[in-house]
Amino acid sequence: MRSIRPLIVKEVKELVRDPKILIGVILMPLLIFPVMGSAISVSQKSVMRAIISASFAVYNEDEGPAVGALLDYLFTNNTVIPIEAESLQDALIEFQGTNATALLYIRDGYSENASRGFRGRLKIYANLKSMTIAEAGTTDTVSNLIGIYSYQLSMSKIHRLLEEAGDPSDPTAVRSPLSVSSASIIKGNVLEVPPSSIFNLIISQSVMLPIMVMVMLMFAIQMAATSIALEKEQKTLETLMTLPVGRLTILSGKLGGSIVVAVAGAISYMIGFSYYMTSAFSFAPGLTSMTTGDIGLGLQPLGMILIGVNIFVTLVSGLALAISLAVFADNVRSAQSLTGFLVIPVIIPSIILMFADLSMLPSTFQWILLAIPYTHSIIGTKAAFLGDYFVVLRSIAYIAAFTVAVLYIAARIFSTERIITARFASFSLRGLLKKR
Amino acid sequence: MMNAVEAKGLVKSFGNVMALDGVSFTIRDREIFGLIGPNGAGKTTTLRLLGTLLKPTSGSAEVFGMDIVREPEKVREIISYLPEEAGAYQNLSGYEYLSFMAGFYSNAERTAGEMLEEAERISGLGQRLEDRVKGYSKGMKQRLLLARALMMRPRLAILDEPTAGLDVVHAYHVRQMIKDYADTRGVTVLISSHNMLEVEYLCHRVALIHMGKIIAEGRPDELKRNFSAENLEQVFMEATRLA
Repeated sequence: MRSIRPLIVKEVKELVRDPKILIGVILMPLLIFPVMGSAISVSQKSVMRAIISASFAVYNEDEGPAVGALLDYLFTNNTVIPIEAESLQDALIEFQGTNATALLYIRDGYSENASRGFRGRLKIYANLKSMTIAEAGTTDTVSNLIGIYSYQLSMSKIHRLLEEAGDPSDPTAVRSPLSVSSASIIKGNVLEVPPSSIFNLIISQSVMLPIMVMVMLMFAIQMAATSIALEKEQKTLETLMTLPVGRLTILSGKLGGSIVVAVAGAISYMIGFSYYMTSAFSFAPGLTSMTTGDIGLGLQPLGMILIGVNIFVTLVSGLALAISLAVFADNVRSAQSLTGFLVIPVIIPSIILMFADLSMLPSTFQWILLAIPYTHSIIGTKAAFLGDYFVVLRSIAYIAAFTVAVLYIAARIFSTERIITARFASFSLRGLLKKR
Repeated sequence: MMNAVEAKGLVKSFGNVMALDGVSFTIRDREIFGLIGPNGAGKTTTLRLLGTLLKPTSGSAEVFGMDIVREPEKVREIISYLPEEAGAYQNLSGYEYLSFMAGFYSNAERTAGEMLEEAERISGLGQRLEDRVKGYSKGMKQRLLLARALMMRPRLAILDEPTAGLDVVHAYHVRQMIKDYADTRGVTVLISSHNMLEVEYLCHRVALIHMGKIIAEGRPDELKRNFSAENLEQVFMEATRLA
């Protein structure tokens, strides 16, 4: 195995010096994520500014006494455009000519209803010109303002009625007799945190990691497939096979070189992604104030190591699979389309497990997913966050067993003449395994 | 003296296609032996068999007494193989490529540095060896590959169409180097070619291969005499007609 080092060094040099790989795998994540994060941050801040400064219009048909208080409330501290029109239809036309994104329509009879103890009827029209979040936000602002007014109105009425009846009850309790608060139990500890907040945190930290691994895996697969296909296309593989060096050493060298570059890509990806997370959510510091450590889900050193091992075996299995498949391709293009099929088992588990837990799925579906090794990459990562190391080890063992099987097939291909003669069109698994 | 190559009844089939149909020939030590024939005649398959890339369906072949099927690792230690229209690693410099290859052969007797010096001489590329291979012309690349194949002083160099597609200048350089190297270093060379003039100029003996069978074998002058031909091209046409 003395020859493996030069093979790895050669592979790394070849890959890293390829501008497509250098930019796509290593430089792009460092560049694209911070840019994406800044773009999200800038746009979110703009949306927030737009919502705060947005104006809305009011068209009032009611002439009664109750509407005055509502109008006073609306016109104080808000930019409101009053619409004067003969009918609602005219008001809507006039509203569309303004820069307001929402129109509050106060129907005739609002005051009468209020005086008779019925509900006052209002309607909000949203003018969706650009279909942006800012427009929806302005509509929400008007709804929220009305909601607050409605609450205050109801509270003062309850207060008055209670006083008249000589009832000592708390007006708040009369309006909402039940009060519910949420807490979560994690690993036997009761935490005064709603489960939704914890899930948000888990999704941002433990689900994003497997997704990152998946993206990195796809890069690595394409890279390894391209590398082996290039060797075949340029007949450098043919030359390598006639050197006094073991076929397994050649395979290991290819794998080793690809792993080194893939790990470098992973590191760059993680650095880029952490910048992305920091900059993208900088507009809402509250979102990142709670950490997994705060709720007892922080990664312990052992968990960290196991996640690393999990990612590593996942990478090796993906690369071995890519190399085994690419051997059957004549050129780079066919290798890439052949390994394109690997997207399915890599992406599907990550998408499904992003939204659902395995136990929620029908049992047949569960078994199908469990058979895919990359499902275990995600299960293992989640389990590491929860400190369930047995599950992590089980996941690693499954991926490792799969990797050994793939490596065995790859080694068989490399040790026979199929490495030279195999063609995409003549692919047959039975023939591949048949001892020559 | 031990023969460099002894091929006996080599048969190679790919599914229903019979690429070689009982090929037998012998190459003597320190000889330049040419294998000539049209496309699809079985030249590359023969060379790949001797290069241990393929295994024969039946028949046998030995390289300096070592069986290509039973002892492929030992065979690989004493041969070097140059595939037809081969490339080199595009993102390595010429030196890096040669140095990578030399690393597999260097030992106490010959260091990688000595091999690199020799490769520089064979290739004649000088300072251009510092450049990345992707910037090389086809001719320069072929000179680099020839240098790679010969620098380790193999006992048998297997060269598949080494001058195919090269211009006159590069083809001349490659031919001169093969001849010079075989003469001065005592390397046995097995070369395949379409170019009959090249074969006549380079080879001590030739074998004509047609549809997977050797149809004639001998020294160029001997063959020309036997077939009453003026050149090897005429020999080949006459031999295929008789076959």
